[in-house]
Amino acid sequence: MSQTKKRTPEEILEEARAMIGNESRPRTDPYPVEYEPIRRYCIMVDDDNPLFLDPEYASNTKYGSVILPPFASFGIMSGGSPQQMADYLTDPETPVMPPHPGEFVINMAQEWEWFKPVKVGDHLTMKGRLADVYMKPIRLDPKTFWFTVEMIFSNQHGEVVCVVRNIALSHRSPEEVAADQSG
Amino acid sequence: MKRTQLYWEDVQVDQEIPTSYSMKLDATRMTLQVSGTQDYYPVHHDRDFARASGVPDVFVNTGFLGAALGRLLTDWIGPEGWLRTFRVEMRKMNLFGETMTLKGKVTRKYVQDGDHYVDADVWCETEAQGVTTPCKATVLLPSRG
Repeated sequence: MSQTKKRTPEEILEEARAMIGNESRPRTDPYPVEYEPIRRYCIMVDDDNPLFLDPEYASNTKYGSVILPPFASFGIMSGGSPQQMADYLTDPETPVMPPHPGEFVINMAQEWEWFKPVKVGDHLTMKGRLADVYMKPIRLDPKTFWFTVEMIFSNQHGEVVCVVRNIALSHRSPEEVAADQSG
Repeated sequence: MKRTQLYWEDVQVDQEIPTSYSMKLDATRMTLQVSGTQDYYPVHHDRDFARASGVPDVFVNTGFLGAALGRLLTDWIGPEGWLRTFRVEMRKMNLFGETMTLKGKVTRKYVQDGDHYVDADVWCETEAQGVTTPCKATVLLPSRG
């Protein structure tokens, strides 16, 4: 977002709020959901649940195969890295990530709703929507931007498997804040 | 590898979730965080970057917290249980060097449209900061009835 640094936060906010309601183009993952990212994801927190790791065990459950752990979304469901996700959300043709003056972004809350299991081999499609953006101070920056982006994930049958609302903030560095206040 | 199944009738309001566990956020765990989530944003692994941004140190990302909280819940509800909704608030950072403990408590159980639901408060806490990450979960469980 460095291209927006010369404008005031208020000017950037005006542009950002005009984007509320923007929807991204649907992005279908070129790869199916795979075993290996799930294995890495589970190892991260010592999760040894065989529903996520053992094809033989999972084949005897009601799901019939290994399923994705519930929160394994952006890095795994999207089939790419969070940077690829960020690039997708800022696609110039259908941006849903609003411009913001600070370079530091922190997730503050997430709301999840799950409807269907995601199985190894599924092909997922995601779609984003900018739900809200506003300015509200935090200790580090009196002109912090807060934004809510909704992500809807569906499978190859067109069924919505989960919906995530991510509430994040973006703040400036202490140096940028000091410069703004002195200028 | 066989897992015990939890049934709705076995759950009591105010009971603690029995799958509580702790995890040290040491250098290996912070590295696993990047591998497991594929989140390369440097505030979660680059101490210089994190401090320059004004925070005390690197801290685990949202994907890691989801995985850790998901383990607590899916270990509890068993293979026939289903996590239906969840809200997590990142109120404080779970910082490098801390030991994070994951806990939960049942707040409500009810039947709606023939389905058997349980609501629970779950959270992460550290010794130095107390509750860092409060959450609310709703799960669907099988019924013996």
